[in-house]
Amino acid sequence: MRAATFQGKGDIDVRDMPDPKIVNPRDAIIEVTSTAICGSDLHLYDTVIPGVEKDDILGHEFMGRVVEVGKDSTLEVGQRVVVPFTIFCGHCFQCAEQRYSACDNSCPVEDQEVAEKAFGYPMAGMFGYSHLTGGYAGGQAEYVRIPYSDVVPMVVPEDIPDDRLLFLSDILPTGWMAALNAEIAPGDTIAVWGCGPVGLFTILSALQQQAGRVIAIDGVQGRLDMAESLGAEPVNFHETDILDALKQMTGGIGPDAVIDAVGMEAHGFSVDNIADRIKQSVGMGQDRAHVLRQAIMACRKGGRVSVPGVYGGKADMFPLGAMMQKGLQLRTGQTHVRRYTAELLDLIERDVIDPSFLISHRLPLEQAATGYRNFRDNQDEWIKVVMHP
Amino acid sequence: MNLANWARYGLAATLATAAGGVLIYRSQPRTNRDAAPARTARHARRFGDYRIAGATVTIRATPEQIVKCWRSNALLWPALEYLPFPEGNQPDLLLPPAELRAMASRPLLTRIVAEREDELVAWRSEGEGHADMHGRLRFRDNGAKGTTVEVIMAVRPHHFASALKTEAMMAEALELGLLRDLRRMKMLIEAGEIATARSRPEAA
Repeated sequence: MRAATFQGKGDIDVRDMPDPKIVNPRDAIIEVTSTAICGSDLHLYDTVIPGVEKDDILGHEFMGRVVEVGKDSTLEVGQRVVVPFTIFCGHCFQCAEQRYSACDNSCPVEDQEVAEKAFGYPMAGMFGYSHLTGGYAGGQAEYVRIPYSDVVPMVVPEDIPDDRLLFLSDILPTGWMAALNAEIAPGDTIAVWGCGPVGLFTILSALQQQAGRVIAIDGVQGRLDMAESLGAEPVNFHETDILDALKQMTGGIGPDAVIDAVGMEAHGFSVDNIADRIKQSVGMGQDRAHVLRQAIMACRKGGRVSVPGVYGGKADMFPLGAMMQKGLQLRTGQTHVRRYTAELLDLIERDVIDPSFLISHRLPLEQAATGYRNFRDNQDEWIKVVMHP
Repeated sequence: MNLANWARYGLAATLATAAGGVLIYRSQPRTNRDAAPARTARHARRFGDYRIAGATVTIRATPEQIVKCWRSNALLWPALEYLPFPEGNQPDLLLPPAELRAMASRPLLTRIVAEREDELVAWRSEGEGHADMHGRLRFRDNGAKGTTVEVIMAVRPHHFASALKTEAMMAEALELGLLRDLRRMKMLIEAGEIATARSRPEAA
C-alpha cells in the first residue's frame, strides 16, 4: 500500500509499505477514505516531539471502511467508521472511568518506558504519533490496522459525507473537551489563544456551551477572519498587547476562562519565546510555553485555565505564583475522544454544527509532502488539509 | 599569580570542598529508607548475599483470576521475559522464561514451595549445582481498582551477573523485565490480548 512516511526533520515521503494484517483477535483493518494533517503532526514533522523514526507512518485523523475483522471484533466488513486517535482497551481502570487517553493497556510494554520516564506513567497508545505512544502506524495510508476494534472506532451513517464526519476523530472532540474543561457558565467571557483547527472548534464549542463572549487571539489574519465568522471577537497579537487588550475588553476583570489551543510551539517574538527557541535549538528545553504563561497571567482571579494544546516536555519561567495567588484551576489532557463522539455526531446529524467549513485544501495522499509544508508555512491560507488515498 | 598557581589553588580548593562535603554527609544520621511505619513504600534492594528486584501492578480481577491466568493461559507464557510460569505437567514445577535462563550462569530448577489462596505463591530454585533464586507473587486487595500484584525475586548475583553484565545491570534488567511481565499479564486479563504495534503477525 501507499503511505505517508516520516523520513527526517521536515521530510515526508509517500512510499510503498506492507499492507497491515490482523494481529490480535480484536483487530480490524480499514481502508482509509479520508485523512487529515493535524497541527500536532507538525510537532513530529519538526521533530519537537521525540520518538518518531524513519519509515513511521504518520496520521491520526482518519476514517474509512472496514475490510477485514478479527474473530473478537464486533465490526462488520463494509461498515463505515471514524477512528479516534487514542487507542484504548475499554476495560482497565482508566477506561472504566472514560479516561480513554490514559488507558493502561494500549501502549505496548516495550514502548512504555520512555513515556514513563518523561511523564511518570505510560500513556495510551495513539495512531501515528511516535514511539512515545506505542509506535502504531498512522492513518495517512491506504489501510490501517485498528486494535480493540470493538470499542475504538465509531460506526457512522452512510448518508453523511466524510467532510462532515472526519473531524470526529480528533479536533472536534478536542475543541469540545477544551470548552468543557473551561467549565463555561452561561454568559461567561472566554479567551481562546490559537485560531487553528483546534482553536476554531474550541470557539464553536464554547459558543455551543453558552459562552456569552469568545475572544479569539492569533497572529494570522486569515485565521482571525475565520474565528470572527464563527462569532468570536478577534485580537491580533502583532497589533496589540494581549494582556492589556483583554483587561480593556472585560472591564478590568479578565476572562472567566482562558483556553490555550496553541501548545508547545508558540509563535511570536516576546523575550520568553525567543529564550525558549534558543533553548529548544540546542536541545536544552522542549516546550515553547509563551501562550500558556500569557493565558495564566490574563485569566481573572478565581478563573479556569483549559489546555488542549499539546505539550511534551518541560517549560521554564512558569507563572506558578500567579496561578496560586489568583486561585486558578487548570485542566488539561489528551482528548478522551470516544467519550464525546456520540453527542457530537448527534449535533452533526441535526445540522447544529457542520465541521466541514474548516477544510481549506484537498489533496491526494501522494502530495502529502506538499500538504505538510504548506500547512506549516502558509497558515494564512492552509487552515486544514484533507487527503484522500 | 601565574596560571600554575591558579591551577594548584583551584585543585586544592576543590579537594577541600569535596572532603568537607563527605565529612558533613557522613556525619548525618542514617535513615533506613525502608523503615516506614506499616507497609514500606519500596522493597529492600539487598538481603544478605541476595540482590532483590520487584515490581507492582494493579489488575482489575480477583487473585483467583490472576493465578488462573498465570497457571493456564498459553498466550501469556511465550510473552514472558523473567517471570517463571507453571510447567503444565507438574503443578508445582515452574519454567524460567528465556531471558531469565540466559541470565543465570547455572541451570534453574524452580519449584513452588508455598501457596496461600488469594495471598501468595512462593517459589525457589533447588538442587545442588543449580542457581540460587527465590521469588513470590503476592496479592493485595486494592478496592475498586482491583487486586495489587507484587512480584519479588531474590537472586545471588554471582549466579546471575555474568562478566558481560554487572550486578547493577542485572538487577535493572530483572526489575524492568518483571514489570513488563506483570503488565503483559494485566493486558491479557483486562483487555484479552497483549498490545502490539506490529502491523503484521510475526512469521512462523
